[in-house]
Amino acid sequence: MSLKRDVSLSAALGYKGQGPYLTYILHRIGGSVLFIFFTIYILALLGVQVAIGILSNWVFQIVFVPFMLFHAINGLRITILDLSPKLIEHFRTAINIEWVVYALVTIFALFVILRSAFGG
Amino acid sequence: MATRSLPLKKRGFTFEVFMWAFTRFTVIAMYGLMLAGIIGGLFVSASTGSNFGEILYGAFFPNIARNLMDSDVLTILAKLMVIAFILSAVGHGVHGVLEIFDDYVTGEGARRWARNIVITYAIIASLIAMYIIWTK
Repeated sequence: MSLKRDVSLSAALGYKGQGPYLTYILHRIGGSVLFIFFTIYILALLGVQVAIGILSNWVFQIVFVPFMLFHAINGLRITILDLSPKLIEHFRTAINIEWVVYALVTIFALFVILRSAFGG
Repeated sequence: MATRSLPLKKRGFTFEVFMWAFTRFTVIAMYGLMLAGIIGGLFVSASTGSNFGEILYGAFFPNIARNLMDSDVLTILAKLMVIAFILSAVGHGVHGVLEIFDDYVTGEGARRWARNIVITYAIIASLIAMYIIWTK
């Protein structure tokens, strides 16, 4: 059976699922970013200089790290709720806590990257 | 809001249940390895006076970075942990990528090709990573 889904990213982000759906779609984007990161990592292991250069480039880190952190933190929330079904009742609270944790961790990570990039 | 939870025994052992469990177990393994890696990295940092970030960099990039472990046992342990982490990440990632492909690649033939390519890529990339990390 063949499916046809013509949903643009803007339409997807405007979907009425709102917060939970936003985490769902950001989780997917984060996973895709991690897939790209893994490919560059393997190339760096193979000694490809361009890949090594990309990984150590602060612009790459600034763009990739927020998505990767979101995937990790959102994944932790999903795992906790999956393994403790009683907590599912509080999933919106869990998402709010997740955003706070994510903001704090990401701000810290970006600060470290920028400080390292500009020799602070 | 009422919640529904079904014990694993009653869900039946279908492919979906297996992949759900596989994805959850690999991600728990990754979180465990991250925690162990941070504790191990801090331990080595404290005992050698090396920078924590450089220790992790040396463990994940043995081909381009200096090994900062102060014993062979720690070096082997770090290699095993990094390999375990990569295998867990690949196992977890393969399922995620396949799920995304299944949602957006709609033709049967294209879907089969996508699955074969992703799984083959994951196996080859894992073998490359294991070989380089273990031998360098």
